[in-house]
Amino acid sequence: MSKSDAPFFVGYLNIPKGLKGFLLKVSLLLFFGFTAGALLAGATQDDPGQAGFRFDFGRQTVEGVIQAKPYPLLHVTKGNERIEIGETLMLTGQGKSGAMASIAALEGTVIEATGILLNRGELRMLQLLGGNRGFKSLETDGPVPASESLGTWRLQGEICDGKCLAGAMQPGRGLAHKACANLCLIGDIPPVFVSSQPIDGEEYFLVGSVEGGSLSAAAYDYVGNFVEIEAALERQGDLMVLKLDPKRIKVIR
Amino acid sequence: MNTAEIILSIVNIWIMIGGVIAFVFLLFGIDRIDEDARGAYVFRPLLIPGILLIWPMVLWRWLRLEMGTENWARRHKPPRKLHFWVAILFAISIPLIMLLGWSARQTWPESFEPQRISLLQQENVR
Repeated sequence: MSKSDAPFFVGYLNIPKGLKGFLLKVSLLLFFGFTAGALLAGATQDDPGQAGFRFDFGRQTVEGVIQAKPYPLLHVTKGNERIEIGETLMLTGQGKSGAMASIAALEGTVIEATGILLNRGELRMLQLLGGNRGFKSLETDGPVPASESLGTWRLQGEICDGKCLAGAMQPGRGLAHKACANLCLIGDIPPVFVSSQPIDGEEYFLVGSVEGGSLSAAAYDYVGNFVEIEAALERQGDLMVLKLDPKRIKVIR
Repeated sequence: MNTAEIILSIVNIWIMIGGVIAFVFLLFGIDRIDEDARGAYVFRPLLIPGILLIWPMVLWRWLRLEMGTENWARRHKPPRKLHFWVAILFAISIPLIMLLGWSARQTWPESFEPQRISLLQQENVR
């Protein structure tokens, strides 16, 4: 076949005879190839599980005492049908912003908090409404529950950002989610460690620094990887808190 | 500073430079290099997101047009010679990247039981 006789495909004209077989084979190969690739990639992914914003519960309004460190927590003193008295809720702001900036000054005082719950199993977080609508100071002080030391533990698992893990993203953990998780942590959203197995029935632990403040930024490079850590464990209210030194993190195989 | 903060800082600096260039280019530069844009202002804000992202390209094109060194015929000649090899490279690299991703994947340590290594707080056992 000379070069001038070679069939030439033009989208708006009939397909030249010499190209029909070729086009059919390429089309079938692409269709089945991409379908198989997509199924294979999907089958290797872990089930993200049940988690998410509980918009079906509507806005939740509760009262409680603010604990600002390591991250903003609300020890509930007046609950509702969804949130019981005595529960300790992690607080977060909108998007990739935590509640630290707005709440820190209210440490030890009672506030009325309004927002949307997120939950994954026992892990619960309250996303406050935007601006000043999310909380109102009741201008009285309240008792922050004393922390109970549970010793130092060696754990394996993953450091995640608590908001995405609780269902703001699906999946909200793993290496593919590392960049998002880092942005959340930079925005002061509470980090949560997911343990391979529970301690006292708890597998999600809020993570702070050894000094009792926010998690050191040096730990952010380990977010999304499966790691082994050694950290002090405390119970604050009904929440378990790890006090983690980034030097005591190592990536596991 | 960790990797995420370094990347975020670079992105912030990139966007800030892009903002300055968008401001100068859309107020002054575009009138100098595109006579069709003179007297037209409503469309200009629409260009801001693009300039924020590809401001080096905007600067380069602006410079070429200002200096009169633009070669329109050459610019619009498609680099066809590369197409075949780029297609082959993509066809090889995409599955390769996926395979590398799978091979580097960690296994969830579901059998690991938490171990209490001390009854004391961490700082006391160093």
